[in-house]
Amino acid sequence: MARIGGQADDLPPEGRPRELRVVSDDTYADWRAVYEDNVDRIHRLMFAKVGNRADAEDLTAEVFLAALGPARLDRSIGEVRAYLLATARTVLARHWRTTMGREITAIDDDQIEAVRQDDPVSDAPQRAAAILDELPERDRRILSLRFLQAYSIKDAAVALGVTVANAKVLQHRALRRAAQLGGGRA
Amino acid sequence: MSVRRFVEDLLRGRRARGFRPDDEEAAQMRAAIELRAGRAGSGAASEEFVADLRRRLATELDEDDRAVPIRSGRRRVLQFGSVAAAGLAVGAVATRAASTPADVAEGPLVPNDGTWTRVAASTDLPDGGVRGFDVDGVTGFVRRDGGQVAAVSGICTHQGCALRLDAPARELRCPCHRTSFAVNGTLVSHQLPTPPRALPTLSVREADGGIEVLAPPP
Repeated sequence: MARIGGQADDLPPEGRPRELRVVSDDTYADWRAVYEDNVDRIHRLMFAKVGNRADAEDLTAEVFLAALGPARLDRSIGEVRAYLLATARTVLARHWRTTMGREITAIDDDQIEAVRQDDPVSDAPQRAAAILDELPERDRRILSLRFLQAYSIKDAAVALGVTVANAKVLQHRALRRAAQLGGGRA
Repeated sequence: MSVRRFVEDLLRGRRARGFRPDDEEAAQMRAAIELRAGRAGSGAASEEFVADLRRRLATELDEDDRAVPIRSGRRRVLQFGSVAAAGLAVGAVATRAASTPADVAEGPLVPNDGTWTRVAASTDLPDGGVRGFDVDGVTGFVRRDGGQVAAVSGICTHQGCALRLDAPARELRCPCHRTSFAVNGTLVSHQLPTPPRALPTLSVREADGGIEVLAPPP
């Protein structure tokens, strides 16, 4: 008999084989299960879209406060996740429209599908590396020091052997070039 | 300058402050966010945040929403938590525009044994003005529209937090869960599973150069 996990004494008294279900048909027991399974996922996604913890936390909270009440727990895990992601997309879009009057970043269909399928959500390091790879060495260094290695502007200036004022100009120009490479990508 | 401030805030780990970026600035912001998000180990939710939000959700979902009275036209129906809630409405908005009939108030707040209590001088409330007050037993906001004075309760109908006046927007905002009401007490927006009721109105009058509300006896 094909079974996943458990010992023979796990069988119900009648000795009936347990119904085996693939993960995508499984459901969550309650809202807590939905929350525990998805809070880090949604937070990582929001952080990748806003770049700071305070906003990522606010938006993550908004997603769960809005979605957990209406979420149908008799739906499959994949469907509940898709619902959370669709809510996240709306919450993020409103955040940008409210603060900046336009959408700066967005959650796209591929990301919704990735989360639904339980693929690892964070390709953030690869995306950052892809931007840096296309830039000239000087741009790459200042951006890497400031954004990836958390150097202060002073420390970055020392590391590059330039003045603080110069480092600021370098950083600004490098970011402008990075933006041009990015094109219309959200 | 504003995109520089955005980047500076981002690198200092501060939340984004609003401005109106053009296409070029928006592209720079995207690049900055992608680069910052690429920092090793920076996207995980903190344990403290996860625990805090779990507590917040528990107060929303375990107690409040077992049976939420909502008004549907003249009829009062009971909606039982998620069971009766709408289906898998993909794309649900988080802060909902308050368009449901549930934003009807219970009615005016009239204490059994009220006394007229002065909350402001008439001269302190020009036409179009809104002013908060806090007297024995009642907290609220008085306003003057077209010469008429009116008042609403200053306590959020969700869980009782004290509302704050956003004078430019003419809204009363709840600091606890981002609910907001118009100064006349109707619900403007909320992020809750079910819309909270509108704010109760208070009886108010003008007498002897002062504005008075009917408040419980001190």
